Amino acid sequence: MKAFRYERPTTVEAAVRAHAGGALLKANGIDVLDRMKERLDQPDRVVTLVDVPGLDRVERRPDGSLSIGAMTTLATLAASADVAAACPTLATAAGQAASPALRNRATLGGNLGQHTRCGYYRFASFRCFKRGDADCPVQAPGGVQEPAGIFGIDLCACAHPSSLAPVLAAGGAVAVVASAKGERRVPVAALYEPPARGKASDWVLGEGDVLVRVEVPPVVAGSHRVGYEEVRQKAAFDWPLVVGAVWVAARDGVVADARVWLGAVAPSPWRAEAAEKALVGKPFTAAQAAVAGEAAVAGATPLPGTAYKVELVKVVVRRALVAALERRS
Amino acid sequence: MAESKVKLGVADVVAEKTIRHEDADPAPWGLDARLAVVGTEVSRVDGFAKASGAARYAGDQRPTGLAFARIVRCPHAHANVTRVDLDAVRTMPGVLAADETGGRRKTYAGAPVAVVCAADERSLDDAVAAVRVSYEVLPHVVDATEALAEGAAQVDPKRANRGDADGRGRGGGPAGDAQKALDEAELKVEATYRTQVQTHVPLEPHGSVATWSEDGKLTLWCSTQSVDAVRNEMARRFQVPAADVRVVTEFMGGGFGCKFGPDPCDYEAVRLARATKRPVWCMNDRREEHLTGGFRPDSVQKLTLGGRRDGTMTVIAGECYGTPGNGQGGAGAANTALYDIPARGVTQFGVSTFTAHGRAFRAPGHPQGVFALEGLVDEFALAAGMDPLDVRRLNDKHPVRRLEWPVGAKRIGWAQHRRKVPGSDRGPVKRGVGCAGGVWYNAGGGSWRIDVAVARDGSVVVRSGVQDIGTGTKTVLAVLVAEELGVAPGAVRVEIGDSRFPPGPGSGGSTTAPSVGPAAREAGVRAREGVAAVVAAAWGVDADKLSFAGGRVRGPGGKETTFEQACAQLPSEGLSVSGVRRKNYEGFSGTCGGVQFARVAVDVETGVVRVEKVVAVHDAGRIVDTLTARSQVNGGVIQGISYALFEEKRLDRASGDMVNPTFDTYRIAGMADTPEIDVVFMDVANGINNVGMMGLGEPATVPTAAAVANAVANATGVRMRELPMTPARVLAALAAARGGGK
Ligand SMILES: Cc1cc2nc3c(=O)[nH]c(=O)nc-3n(C[C@H](O)[C@H](O)[C@H](O)COP(=O)(O)OP(=O)(O)OC[C@H]3O[C@@H](n4cnc5c(N)ncnc54)[C@H](O)[C@@H]3O)c2cc1C
Ligand code: SF4
Repeated sequence: MKAFRYERPTTVEAAVRAHAGGALLKANGIDVLDRMKERLDQPDRVVTLVDVPGLDRVERRPDGSLSIGAMTTLATLAASADVAAACPTLATAAGQAASPALRNRATLGGNLGQHTRCGYYRFASFRCFKRGDADCPVQAPGGVQEPAGIFGIDLCACAHPSSLAPVLAAGGAVAVVASAKGERRVPVAALYEPPARGKASDWVLGEGDVLVRVEVPPVVAGSHRVGYEEVRQKAAFDWPLVVGAVWVAARDGVVADARVWLGAVAPSPWRAEAAEKALVGKPFTAAQAAVAGEAAVAGATPLPGTAYKVELVKVVVRRALVAALERRS
Repeated sequence: MAESKVKLGVADVVAEKTIRHEDADPAPWGLDARLAVVGTEVSRVDGFAKASGAARYAGDQRPTGLAFARIVRCPHAHANVTRVDLDAVRTMPGVLAADETGGRRKTYAGAPVAVVCAADERSLDDAVAAVRVSYEVLPHVVDATEALAEGAAQVDPKRANRGDADGRGRGGGPAGDAQKALDEAELKVEATYRTQVQTHVPLEPHGSVATWSEDGKLTLWCSTQSVDAVRNEMARRFQVPAADVRVVTEFMGGGFGCKFGPDPCDYEAVRLARATKRPVWCMNDRREEHLTGGFRPDSVQKLTLGGRRDGTMTVIAGECYGTPGNGQGGAGAANTALYDIPARGVTQFGVSTFTAHGRAFRAPGHPQGVFALEGLVDEFALAAGMDPLDVRRLNDKHPVRRLEWPVGAKRIGWAQHRRKVPGSDRGPVKRGVGCAGGVWYNAGGGSWRIDVAVARDGSVVVRSGVQDIGTGTKTVLAVLVAEELGVAPGAVRVEIGDSRFPPGPGSGGSTTAPSVGPAAREAGVRAREGVAAVVAAAWGVDADKLSFAGGRVRGPGGKETTFEQACAQLPSEGLSVSGVRRKNYEGFSGTCGGVQFARVAVDVETGVVRVEKVVAVHDAGRIVDTLTARSQVNGGVIQGISYALFEEKRLDRASGDMVNPTFDTYRIAGMADTPEIDVVFMDVANGINNVGMMGLGEPATVPTAAAVANAVANATGVRMRELPMTPARVLAALAAARGGGK
């Protein structure tokens, strides 16, 4: 790790100012420190949010929606009665992520902003398109493919690591970002952008942007249903192989609107539009859930080593929908 | 020479045997021995130090003036070093030394190229990052099967990658006429089993802290499985008398077979400490450890198992290879072990690849060989239309393992589970049970000496150079001496892992405890006799009329005192005695058995396998401390599950470099993946040495992966012939089975 100056602003405004001009923003540092130790990032200045008060809170607003501070830990999300009531799948996803010790430190902002865990990206001795090389070794002959994705992987094949992002995107959550120009609101569904050569981070936030909070509309009992399903090889201390999060609005048993999002299958959280289409206007049933699961893999271009994820996507989408169907809310 | 009649055996298989032993060696404990401490549950004597962080491992040592060193490693599997630029590095702040390690041609990713030493860790990190090396990258191959192909790059230019055929294999060499037996077999099953490369991943990596005194004496805190070997090797390499080298391994954070001699980091610590005239710290980081610290070779085992329709196995034959990395030896798989199969003809060979060095790893050759063998036994049973447990019992002649099968079967609920048709559970989660056995060979040996000192205040100290690699050696020594002195194990202080004490064995082959334990018992007997002599003199009674128990000494006529008061009678210098490890006697059994049963739940839609329960029935002669022994078995089972489901060193074929060299990317079973583990010990009065103890560390991990795979087959009806059983592989096998059934 290269020597750096450590700055601990106490207001969001000061953090925004400090972050501009080449500093690296740090929440609790799980991901940031890994990257710095490997010298993937070699900032002169590190700006931390740990001393900014009030960012680690979950609030239930009068309209039932949630306002979750960027520094809220996954452990807090998993244990919060407000989260359980307003967006139960977020509590589930947070409670199953990583391990108990990590959840005590991992923040929501850091979770959404974490970089890919692709082994090639993580060690500078490998080539990597995201780090500026011309091509991606995962797709080259002899590349290790199993952790990689199946959608939108022509340039970079990595799998997005956040299991919370698909839940928030499906739930219609909005990220509130502070910058020198003031606050702006970015739907979580639009928080990420396709891979580009030399662009290490996956999301649209840039220098001087600080995620302040995430607002999650309420899951309204009787009208909305949500479901979450993930497949983990190891039960803990690992990222899921595939994540599926669904949000369904149904009236009289017929789907009026649906959002189906996937994690760990593409360089960014992936919206399965074909699955949504397969649901809307149809009765909300287990049989239709299976149809949507099959539809969810439309457009998949798996590598030989990631073909299994195609099967997993079908399963998680179906199971998440069935869970939504069966959930009493 | 003395002769003692001893009751030997296990359960109701008992025989009285006359054992001839040296006068100084106490007679082996028989089945009827009544022992106070041995066989009970004794907490690790250093447990608190370890759990609280008070224990100081090699890398924790901080002698004043400590400098830090790190090795710069080659990122290519095969390359010539064309230029190493260290001039700029040498002038960087804090840098004390920067040297090339020598050698132009590098044949694995991770090979040392240079080493840098600096006054503090931060300067070191900056300096290492500034080292510039130019390479001429050469063709390579990192996969055993690819390395066999025509035109593959050769690791040793003078010889083929394919090593010489080694018919000896592991676990039982060629026997009988395999071809004839195959021709005559009524039933044959043929399959190819594959296992992966597994790295050792000791929590404490390789490394040392070294310091030289002004008069040329070396002290080395080293993470090693052999204090003695490191001392001798450092003395040789640095040309000083062995007496001037002190190696200390007071606490050790695991080795599993990869730490028998010094690694480059250990040598560099010593060399740089001498060159810079400062103590030097040089430990591998996790990535270096994964890349270069050793691994269990992979295997491709193409085997045929044949026999009669009644379930008798008559022949096992085939071909088996794997890559031990740079060399050619040590990749054999023990697929001929366990059963009495009269005709054996498995050809084994190693294949050189451009990867680092495979090393001995907890039961070398056995987990992979037993995975294939026990898988085939299940396949054979299926072909014979028999319960696989019945086939095993029919073909198993091991005197202890024969008794272990039914014990394990009962505790896992074998009969009830096996009644079900595989894959017939409702819903996507299918449950099943499977079993597998193991064998291990060691009761220890050598002629190691253990010293015991008893002071006038009653304090007891046991000393030996032997290291405790985490297996509980310290505790075992305390228990055995405590048994003979009639005191609590906690009252015995054990000082080991220091080459100033009498040399001890290297910790390999599960021999440590049985190599030093009997000597400790003998030393304990000598110490008791010494105390008894002075007490007897004071009381005016016969020394052999005294008894030592519960911290008290009792004599005829109601005479009684505490152990401490008894010791007050000792001369001022106290008592110093020794025990020596004698040759092994012919005991009840020269080998250990061990069987394990697993119950798994397989989600056939996701391919995820969870192990729900493992019953592990093991024997290791006399169990000295049930708690540390159980701990060994727990660890072996967890490591076996990890091997079955998770672990795999993944190399990018194009660069030959490892893409998962960290704890979060190299999957290892953790708490949440650990099932209920039901450990059962078969108490065997073995008489093979005065304690009757044998090794346990390795056998505990041998059957696990095979038992889990057999359980997966029972759960789903589909056999997994490749490890690790990842969701991707399980799904592929299920799909293939469905396709085949159409
Ligand atoms: C072994 C392991 C297993 C894991 N398993 C899972 C899992 O199952 N599911 C899952 O979703 N995650 C998992 N994670 C990831 C973990 O949740 C994240 O690493 C963690 O949430 C990061 O939080 P942090 O506060 O430490 O972030 P940091 O490391 O401090 O920051 C991470 C990134 O986010 C940026 N950032 C952080 N906060 C803000 C902000 N307020 N505004 C703008 N940018 C910001 C930082 O600049 C940085 O680039 C796992 C991690 C580990 C190590
Ligand atoms: S998959 Fe993406 S992150 Fe991984 S090496 Fe390729 S470009 Fe880099």
